[in-house]
Amino acid sequence: MKLKRNWVMYLIVGMVVISSLSGCGGYKDIDKRFFVVAIGIDAAKSHTKKYLISLKFAIPSVEKKPNDFIIVSEEADTMAEAVRIIKTKVDKEVDFSHAKVVVFNEKIVQKKMEPHLIYWFSRRRDIQKILWTVIGRPTALEVLKTKPKFEQIPSNSMFLALGKEGTETPYIFGEYLFDFKKRLIEKGLDPFMPIIEVKKGLLVINTAGLFNKKRLKMVLTPEQTKLLYYIFNSEQKSAIKVKSRKLYFIIDTQKIKSSYKMDTSNPNHSIIKTKIKIKGRLEEAMFSPKNSELPAYEKLAEKDIDKQVKNLLLKLQKANLDPIGFGLYYRARHFQNNDWKTWQHIYPNLTFEVHTDVHIEDTGLIE
Amino acid sequence: MLRSNIKTTQEDLLEKIQQTEDVVFKELFTKVESIKVFYIKTLSDEAQIQNYIIKPFYEIESPTLFLDYLKSHPKVKPFENEEKTLNQLLVGEVIVFFQAKIFLFDLKMDRQSSVLDTTVETTIQGPQSGFSESIGTNLGLVRQRYPQASLNMESSSIGKVSKTKVITLYDNKTVNQEVLKKVREFLETIDIEMFQSGEQLLDLIKKSQRALFPLMLITERADRVAINLAAGKVVLLVNGSPFAVILPTVMKDFMSSMADIYQTYWVGCFFITLRYIGLFISIVLPSIYVALTAYNPEVFRVQLALSIAGSRSTVPYPAFIEVFFMLIMMELLTEASIRLPKAIGPTATTVGGLILGQAATEAGLVSNIMIIIVSAVAISNFVVPVNNFGAAIRVVKYLLLVLSIFYGLVGVVIGFLLLVSYLVSLESFGKPFLTISEKKPAQN
Repeated sequence: MKLKRNWVMYLIVGMVVISSLSGCGGYKDIDKRFFVVAIGIDAAKSHTKKYLISLKFAIPSVEKKPNDFIIVSEEADTMAEAVRIIKTKVDKEVDFSHAKVVVFNEKIVQKKMEPHLIYWFSRRRDIQKILWTVIGRPTALEVLKTKPKFEQIPSNSMFLALGKEGTETPYIFGEYLFDFKKRLIEKGLDPFMPIIEVKKGLLVINTAGLFNKKRLKMVLTPEQTKLLYYIFNSEQKSAIKVKSRKLYFIIDTQKIKSSYKMDTSNPNHSIIKTKIKIKGRLEEAMFSPKNSELPAYEKLAEKDIDKQVKNLLLKLQKANLDPIGFGLYYRARHFQNNDWKTWQHIYPNLTFEVHTDVHIEDTGLIE
Repeated sequence: MLRSNIKTTQEDLLEKIQQTEDVVFKELFTKVESIKVFYIKTLSDEAQIQNYIIKPFYEIESPTLFLDYLKSHPKVKPFENEEKTLNQLLVGEVIVFFQAKIFLFDLKMDRQSSVLDTTVETTIQGPQSGFSESIGTNLGLVRQRYPQASLNMESSSIGKVSKTKVITLYDNKTVNQEVLKKVREFLETIDIEMFQSGEQLLDLIKKSQRALFPLMLITERADRVAINLAAGKVVLLVNGSPFAVILPTVMKDFMSSMADIYQTYWVGCFFITLRYIGLFISIVLPSIYVALTAYNPEVFRVQLALSIAGSRSTVPYPAFIEVFFMLIMMELLTEASIRLPKAIGPTATTVGGLILGQAATEAGLVSNIMIIIVSAVAISNFVVPVNNFGAAIRVVKYLLLVLSIFYGLVGVVIGFLLLVSYLVSLESFGKPFLTISEKKPAQN
């Protein structure tokens, strides 16, 4: 009998111990949850409240009727308030575990961003840190409302594009919440967000907005965005347009690799050497290309890209923005107490050297 | 021995045994001598009695020659004591009283000597026949497959009432002496009345006589026995059972099928991997489903989460009731298909499995996803090649399921941990249950 009682004791103790581990959230069936797929933050229309928070809920398809959703909006000063009020408007438990995109209105981020807005996402357990942060045009609500015809599941087209599961293009780089937060805090690495624009019922993503630590400072053109992402080493598949007086051709790239080195041995004349290696083949040409002439085309392309990248880097330097993280690179290699201050002096006077190495494999045709 | 002694022995024996129809006690006479035969005709082979005892008795004229015949016949054993003689009589030997001597003539009838096809551990290729229900035939089958002079056997009987003959087989060269000692001790300590088949040992190995996981391999394949003998294991053959018991057995033995060695190496590896995947699926899938749908839907992709939520939206009960309902239905089906006559077995499973599943989803009792999960669990459970072990796995998944209902994913993880630690604590005759690789026995 003694043995038996011991066994029961162990079981009870075990159950109690395990129950303390179960953490947050109790039993809640999946069909009793209402999944938020995207969150939109706009400025409130009324003057008493600051924000208009919109949650896009996916309605589970019962009879193979996909892409059904509902957007519930609420004006409030904080995220938490808005969510609590929205909870009273829906019948099921609001579940953020599949909220994958937060769309900020451009006007919200142009003003001084309030940190609590970003930290709310990090604080909540059920919001995954792989949430994408984007800027929406014309408004966040408009982006949420857009429903391209090819979309099967609410907001899926945004997920596929930002996650590069679907379309692979050099113009898109999904910025995750955890990375955005890091960039917001880290000295020498500035935040950015891709911009989603609603155009004729489609979502267009090909530009990016650059932030300093407080607000949106600059919006890049699509071409600049692409070059910035080249330096991020984000995408191998791309197309590069090369235009000179006589020649006009497009390179379909197979490999893009970039790296940079910093030379700060001379404090008055620091240099950043950026190297970009591109491998590809001719995809389209407005003339009849020859295999023997390929080195000449390569030179032309190199010159063109060198110039464009240098312009972009100078533009960033002029605006004192550092999305690439040169400052962090410097700080990681210099161990003085005042490394950040020194860097702030160095950055405006940096010289950029860009060296591109283009390799065109063939003309794509048999001569 | 004196004539009067024989008389008393004879009377004692007659007294002890119930005088039923099939007990034969007959005196045969010639001019000079008489012989008494005593046997049970339902157990002994009367044709052989005719051939080996009655014919020679009348044909050999001199009584001394007949006595020599009896003494030298290989099937004859001399009398030892009354107790033993009675026991031998009860298993079918013929007792011959001649002059002042008693002989035990082994003329048992072998009714179940036909070799059966394998039905439990079937393989596509390789030997197709298993054991018979006769221990003699089985021994012969093993001998045939394992022609080694070092093959040794020890005979014992288990069961106070049944007195079942059990033969312990091992190869003197390869056997681990410690294991052998433990097996002998184990056989000695068995306290049971009716012993019919080796499977009964599974529970007896535990002190509490209640076991969940089998620690011995029960097999119907002679080739499996032979290969295990070569690997230094001990084999028990039980009279009247077409199954042999192999000791010691660890988990990887339960997960291996004889088909593995009848395949090419990589195919065999693939099958073993497949079996472990099946094992894992059948243990954790139901509990993972409950844990993920009710506690951690963020683990799914959004697409899957929405489709599960959609398919569950018509289901009125929480996920765990749904899972329990379907699992119990599935267990009933499996159980029923064993009991059902072979002719209608497949029909019943089809009706039960297909139609019930279809109707249950249409009636909104369970979700589509649930049907997939239950069938995946059911199918993968039968990937485990040894039935006893598969049955233990069938039980274990409910423990994990209960934990997942209360504690979600953490419960599943902890439950799995508990399961593994329990398996670690098990051992089979000195071998840890989770032994992954064994050294080949040295040929000493």
